[in-house]
Amino acid sequence: MFNAVSKSPWVVHFNCNSCNGCDIEFLACLTPHYDVERFGILHIGNPKHADVLVVTGSVNNRNARVLQNVYNQIPDPKVVVALGVCTSSGGVFAGCYNILGGVDIVIPVDVFVPGCPPRPEAMIDGIVKAVGILERKRKGEIFPTAPKPLCKFKPSEEQSAETTAIKEEKTV
Amino acid sequence: MIEKINITQWIIIAVSLVAAPFIGALISGLDRKITARMQGRKGPPVIQPFYDIIKLFSKQPIALHKLQILYAFLHLVFMMLVVVLLAMGQDLLMILFAHAFSTICLVLGGMSVRSPYSRIGSMRKIMQMLAYEPILILIIVAIYLQTDSFLASSVMDMSKPMLWSMPLLFLSFLCAVAIKLNKSPFDVSTSHHAHQELIKGITVEYAGPYLGIIEIAHLYETAILFFIIMMFWQTNYYIGFGLETIAFVAILILDNTFSRLTTTWMLKYMWSIPLFLSIANIIWLWSK
Amino acid sequence: MEIMNFNVLLAVLIIVPVVFGVVAYLSPWDKLRSLSIVFCSVIVAAAGIMITIAPNDKFTLPGSETIATILEVAIVCIILYIAVKIKNWLILLMSLAQLGMIVAEIILAHTGHTVAHTYDFATDPLTKILILITSIIGPVIAIYAIGYMKNHQEHAPPSAASLGQFFFFFIAFLGFMNGLVMANNLKWFSFFWEATTLCSYMLIGQDGGESKKNAERALLINTFGGTAMIAGVLWLVVNNNTESFEGLLLAKAVIPMVLLCVAAFTKSALLPFQSWLLGAMIAPTPVSALLHSATMVKAGSYLVLRVTPGFHDSAKVMMVITFIGALTFAGAALLAVTQSNAKRVLAYSTISNLGLVVACAGINSPLAYAAALAIICFHAISKGLLFLCVGRIEQKIGSRDIEDMGGILYRMPVTTSVALIGMMSMLLPPFGMLLSKWMAIEATIRSPLILVFIILGSALTVFFWSKWIGRIQTSSYHPNFNKETMDPAMGFSLITLALGVLLTGVGSMWIFNKFFAPITREVFASRTDISDVLWNVFTAAGNFAAVTLFVAVGIAFLAYWLLVWRRFKETDVRLPYLCGENAESTVYTTSAFHNSEGTRSYAFRSMGDKIENSWSSTTYLKNFICEKKATIWLNLIAWVIIIILLGEAHLL
Repeated sequence: MFNAVSKSPWVVHFNCNSCNGCDIEFLACLTPHYDVERFGILHIGNPKHADVLVVTGSVNNRNARVLQNVYNQIPDPKVVVALGVCTSSGGVFAGCYNILGGVDIVIPVDVFVPGCPPRPEAMIDGIVKAVGILERKRKGEIFPTAPKPLCKFKPSEEQSAETTAIKEEKTV
Repeated sequence: MIEKINITQWIIIAVSLVAAPFIGALISGLDRKITARMQGRKGPPVIQPFYDIIKLFSKQPIALHKLQILYAFLHLVFMMLVVVLLAMGQDLLMILFAHAFSTICLVLGGMSVRSPYSRIGSMRKIMQMLAYEPILILIIVAIYLQTDSFLASSVMDMSKPMLWSMPLLFLSFLCAVAIKLNKSPFDVSTSHHAHQELIKGITVEYAGPYLGIIEIAHLYETAILFFIIMMFWQTNYYIGFGLETIAFVAILILDNTFSRLTTTWMLKYMWSIPLFLSIANIIWLWSK
Repeated sequence: MEIMNFNVLLAVLIIVPVVFGVVAYLSPWDKLRSLSIVFCSVIVAAAGIMITIAPNDKFTLPGSETIATILEVAIVCIILYIAVKIKNWLILLMSLAQLGMIVAEIILAHTGHTVAHTYDFATDPLTKILILITSIIGPVIAIYAIGYMKNHQEHAPPSAASLGQFFFFFIAFLGFMNGLVMANNLKWFSFFWEATTLCSYMLIGQDGGESKKNAERALLINTFGGTAMIAGVLWLVVNNNTESFEGLLLAKAVIPMVLLCVAAFTKSALLPFQSWLLGAMIAPTPVSALLHSATMVKAGSYLVLRVTPGFHDSAKVMMVITFIGALTFAGAALLAVTQSNAKRVLAYSTISNLGLVVACAGINSPLAYAAALAIICFHAISKGLLFLCVGRIEQKIGSRDIEDMGGILYRMPVTTSVALIGMMSMLLPPFGMLLSKWMAIEATIRSPLILVFIILGSALTVFFWSKWIGRIQTSSYHPNFNKETMDPAMGFSLITLALGVLLTGVGSMWIFNKFFAPITREVFASRTDISDVLWNVFTAAGNFAAVTLFVAVGIAFLAYWLLVWRRFKETDVRLPYLCGENAESTVYTTSAFHNSEGTRSYAFRSMGDKIENSWSSTTYLKNFICEKKATIWLNLIAWVIIIILLGEAHLL
């Protein structure tokens, strides 16, 4: 009874810059086939009621602040689950002129779920893992943020230079 | 009046105050379970509402300002007062006013913050009140016309089940219950399903324990409404319980078959068919 | 106890305000004027309280017949003069008719038509309640007006009349009102009636320009009522040989009663006649407060309560009167929902409540009568307070629009809290208004049609009040509230009335049991046709455990104080949810929250990081009701009922 946090994690879902692949897979978790509500997981639209922030997509200049705001509005204890490869490195968008990188450069991430997109099973697994962290956070055990999966794609020197140039152009 | 309450009544009051949220939680737990089964899902455990509320109380108490929270407290306390007054068998109109006050507190709490979503939810909640309040008063009027008394305890003096004399009012009351429980097609101000569209409407700016307070008040309200449904067959509690079950399932089917409709539609509907059904029933009782 | 002498008190209540009004008029210095107003207020309030404590008494003025006739002719002549001056032929015609009827009365008196003379002035419980309202709330509003008019006159158009004239009519109004409620002789009553009409005309037209037009409308409608009344009096003199309320009730003369009621409807601005009260909103706010709470409209409801108790035999007529009241109650509440102008909302709310008073008076049951008394009392205090608050808010933010009133809780916390108290007293338990509405519903239970109107009206009342309350208390988090500076005169009035509202609210059950119930029993003592059931309801209403309400509120506040107020941390403060697009940081910082106290906006970042304001308005049900169309329909129905009422009276 007293580990109620882990019995009713309410999830708010934030789409940063995703191609919607992860989002559709995440919504599939709610369907009768996967039915996350049997774990007490509710998909709610408001960070103020949430315990778990599920992020999809990479962070760009525009949405970094929004992500930060949504994160701030979640009451403690809270955990962040990052779905898909974009959230860790930028994925296919990495190196794009407007992309800052993974979610972890803006907010601390507790669980990364790899895949492009991850399977719903993997997502549920990730959330259940996050819920364990949530419970430990409630007890006051500070939990280290998740180790970031290795990023295989690295923009070449030229690409980086190009991106910087575009950015500068825009600011001028 | 207070000094006239004997020890048994005190016990009844205490028991109903403690039991009401548990009953409410079970009802909403069953609600979620049955809804899930209707949708072909497994659904959460029946005691899920307990988990939810206990969890909410372990969260950080974030708020927009202090006034907002006062309204949450008033909302809960007046909902509890309704239970107490019902247990004391007090004047039904006054009970209704206490209930309305409780709801208004929720509305005012939602409007006291500078948040557009909360504001929209509150406006819709007032529209809901406008839609169902006349019907509740008419039910009380119907009770008076039969018993010559406004006291809640007088219902027990009626020899025949209330459903016999006020079937049309019962139907209207079910609509009012559907509104109060935020069931489709009336779930315009806040909803269990519409997290994305309404951003949880009226309670959007409450979080953590404060949301928990509002949830508990909702449990009380659920218990009160189902108690009233049972009272429509007050002569036999088993049949009353059966009536309750039928009403419960009917509302769930309504919830799962309808989509959410607009406030305008709700107001027009409630002020036409159920209101006229109620008035017809009143005139029928009055002419008898 | 010479000072407690009834005659002296009577004279003080009626004449002192007029005398001090003259002082205020003639005074060349503002200081002297203010002083005379304060002095007069104290005297009138003291006299009002004393006459209430004193036992009921009667008073006959030697030669009163002649004096009253002269005064009446004089006041009608003044209205005649005004009618000629503003070239309103309708008013002229009606005033001439009034004059003709008065002359007819004089001729009758001289040709040997005997009229039974009774006492001229008297106090009874009903009178005392009205005197208390007039002579306590009236002066409080007058003191407020000192502060308000100072500010008002600085911005007033050049066409505005002088402050001296304003205060003369303002204060004299109280005297006339006191006279009106104490008069038993209908001649005196008509004189005071016309005098209040004249006062309201002058006060509404204070600012000149457009307000003159509205004042003219008020004069027109009230003169219509006055004509109906004088016709009623003439009828009474000719057919029943009496010209006092006592005689009217003894004779059970239905036609004069109906005519008096029509006069009362005009003064109370019931449904077909409501336009003058809405137009009167153009006047300076203290005038609205005075018209709505202490005087004018209360005169109408007083008259209805005065004449109806004797007429339970004419059930049909009473039914029609009840219906007008009930229609007004629901109709005005419906119209109030569509309004965003604060003063118009207040006006419609007043009309609606007066409708309920008339409906209760028409039901003719003890419970309804007690409810009517309670509504008059509690409404006077709350509405007076609300007008004063709105006046102050208007001067401060420069708008009467409810939608502009967001954020004032931070900017003017005292006024806003006082306004909140006033508004809550209009619809929430345990305040008296709700109590009265409760009794009204319990009393109308045997007439379903009326009941449905009252239920719908109550629901709509809750709707428009809670909308407004929600708007004015909207604010952001501030560690400290603004300090509010207020003119001492205005501050005094606001605090006094707020305390009055709170105390009467807390003690509403007690006041009901201690005052209204006994008065009602006295009024209905001679009635044998009242079934035991009604008295049972009466007892049940008196037995309600109101203490539970206070316990509940106490628990809520205590829990709140213990669990929240003391532990509240600034680090727990967040900005509202705007999909994460808040323009400011979502965590509390002083600057972010300081900038965000707009009246109506929620700043968010839009396309291209532009900061824009989102705005969610309050619902006015505009897609349901159009004020103009609804008014036309409601007026039409109300006129039909008035005609039915007149027809009903003649048929009997």
